[in-house]
Amino acid sequence: MQFAMLRWVVQIIEVAGGRWTIWYEDVGRWNAFAVIGFTAIAGLALLGTLIVTTSRRGGLKSPWSQRRRKKSLLLRQWKNLFTSDGKLRDSVTFLKNVRSGGVDHDIRHEVWPFLLGIYDLNSSDVERNRIGKQKRKEYKNLRKKCRNFFKAGDINGVKIKDAVIGSRESNDGCISFMPENELEAKQSISIEGEQSDDPEKLLLDSDIGIVEKENSDITHVDTKSLDSDSEEEFPVIYTPTVEETELQNVKISHKRDSSKIAEDFTIWQRIIRLDAIRANGEWITYSPSQAAISEGIAYKHAEEVGLKDYKHLQPCRIFHAARLVAVLEAYTVYDSEIGYCQGMSDLLAPIISVMEEDHEAFWCFVGFMSKARHNFRLDEVGIQRQLKIVSRIIKFKDAHLYNHLEMLQAQDCFFVYRMVVVLFRRELTFAQTLTMWEAMWADQAAIRAGIGKSWGLIRLRAPPTEDLLLYAIAASVLQKRKTIIERSISMDEIISECNSMAGQLDEWKLLDDAYDLVVRFHHKIS
Amino acid sequence: MAKKMDNEYDYLFKIVLIGDSGVGKSNILSRFTRNDFCLESKSTIGVEFATRTLQVNDRTIKAQIWDTAGQERYRAITSAYYRGAVGALLVYDITKKQTFDNVQRWLGELRGHADSNIVIMMAGNKCDLKQLRAVSEEEGQELAEKEGLSFLETSALEAINVEKAFGTILGEIYHIVSKKALAAQETAAAAGPPSQGTTINVSDSTGTKKSCCSN
Repeated sequence: MQFAMLRWVVQIIEVAGGRWTIWYEDVGRWNAFAVIGFTAIAGLALLGTLIVTTSRRGGLKSPWSQRRRKKSLLLRQWKNLFTSDGKLRDSVTFLKNVRSGGVDHDIRHEVWPFLLGIYDLNSSDVERNRIGKQKRKEYKNLRKKCRNFFKAGDINGVKIKDAVIGSRESNDGCISFMPENELEAKQSISIEGEQSDDPEKLLLDSDIGIVEKENSDITHVDTKSLDSDSEEEFPVIYTPTVEETELQNVKISHKRDSSKIAEDFTIWQRIIRLDAIRANGEWITYSPSQAAISEGIAYKHAEEVGLKDYKHLQPCRIFHAARLVAVLEAYTVYDSEIGYCQGMSDLLAPIISVMEEDHEAFWCFVGFMSKARHNFRLDEVGIQRQLKIVSRIIKFKDAHLYNHLEMLQAQDCFFVYRMVVVLFRRELTFAQTLTMWEAMWADQAAIRAGIGKSWGLIRLRAPPTEDLLLYAIAASVLQKRKTIIERSISMDEIISECNSMAGQLDEWKLLDDAYDLVVRFHHKIS
Repeated sequence: MAKKMDNEYDYLFKIVLIGDSGVGKSNILSRFTRNDFCLESKSTIGVEFATRTLQVNDRTIKAQIWDTAGQERYRAITSAYYRGAVGALLVYDITKKQTFDNVQRWLGELRGHADSNIVIMMAGNKCDLKQLRAVSEEEGQELAEKEGLSFLETSALEAINVEKAFGTILGEIYHIVSKKALAAQETAAAAGPPSQGTTINVSDSTGTKKSCCSN
């Protein structure tokens, strides 16, 4: 009997596995047949469930499932990844590990510059030293420029004549910082970004109906003028006429982009300081050296950047706020098309707490913003595109929920606006956010380096995606489907529901669910 | 009267909180809806909202208050939420002159995107910071009179006038609505307010039934 049942099960497995063998077995007695038949049907149902579960992921298990999830990348493993001349010997393993398990907090400051494209994955120690020095110098000059701009801006407003635009990403997608000798001095404030030849860089989704340039539209300051040792060459500050002063400040116009920047450096300067002093202290336990900063150093930094209204804060928070101001201001000069938009400080704060040097934090932020800047564009193209992707994922995955959203006129998924803009920062805790971002950065780094295609099976089924976070956001909404549908909540209440997800989400579950969505729909979405 | 459930109300009034970044909009909202104040309140990204149900003249009114991002960049998104608002609390910071100077721009926003009959109150917030005052109460009062707005100085931190500010707006809206309802009753001999709540549009005397609150 047991033997017969075993054979049944084996044959059922064969059938279920697609091998349509004849499974009839003479067991001699009808009653036994009936029992076995019943057992088999139950077994088949169970197997069917298993098969459906497996096949919907194409036989792949999520790297974020509880069983397969890797441990975070540790110092010892990290050191072992390098050759004697300091080159990463296996970028694929490195990125897969980060993607699946995150990075141990103690080595984040070493790992992030690779993830965020400051250092090429194939760079050597020598190259990184050179780039590091260059970056430090460029940042120093950006800060110098800021001090001059904002000193003048405080009084009269500023006119920038020498802001120059250039493509900030090379064709291989790695953030490149133009060497001094390749730069030409320009005297223009128009955008003349280079068109990338790489089709991957031009995200075109005709189905979505929005074409968004992911690259080469960064407005940043010519680094040659910044590198100049001559103070006369920059910045060009002049005293505005009465009319111009009445206009508050000079707006930067863009030749290519018709949307005018209705904001200016003075406004950015004010809002940056406002947001810096209200940054929370969630990072403190993760950054003991910065938490222990002395009052003297904190106040010195605060004065240097002209921080205001900070007396109520403890020294480490003042120090943190001052660093936020320094880096964000530098960014407004570097990328004046985006300037500063509220929410950007949310993205920078974790970087500041991990990277102890301002110039490192700045360039990591620049790397992060190479994608995230589209969230803050004045024309909202970036945000609309992303909301549409979330909407489409939900539509593909759960037509019933999508129809319900349509009925509520909420199919535009505006209710996930905040999640998209600040990449889950408001919904996840500090530690959760970093894990989520690291997975996202690992995907982006793999795409940038063109190694996503060598990820074995993953290449076919669940390739690294620029939009990993959008899948995770869709997953968070799908987790709420019951509430949304059964409680018949209104569109307004969905916003409230999403905004109150804070503290209730499990980052691994989100990534695991996101993986499922990537497997099933990435070919339809991208 | 027994305490009504959150979804049992006579009227739903949508109110928007607008004004420059950092004037204290989110804290005014949390003070009014949760009696809470957070010194580290983060910037609002897009829009958020909270509700509070209260009694005005024996009627249960649910105030749905939309808190909006102050930065110009978010204006396109936030202004979409002016639609259907029957009240607005326009906030400036009495310690920051520029936020007061921008009141006119915010009024322009309301005129451009909100119902023309919207009830507007201007609030000079942070009035606890007397030593840092940059806008006098008289200046505020003068502008309010010129623009035909109600006016109060408030402090979300010390819970000064926050209740009064919303109470005034809601009372005024209710007054308009009940006057219109009375007129409608006289002409159509209409029944009393529906039991499942009514969303009020100030330009519409009958209001529209809120379909989502049936359970």
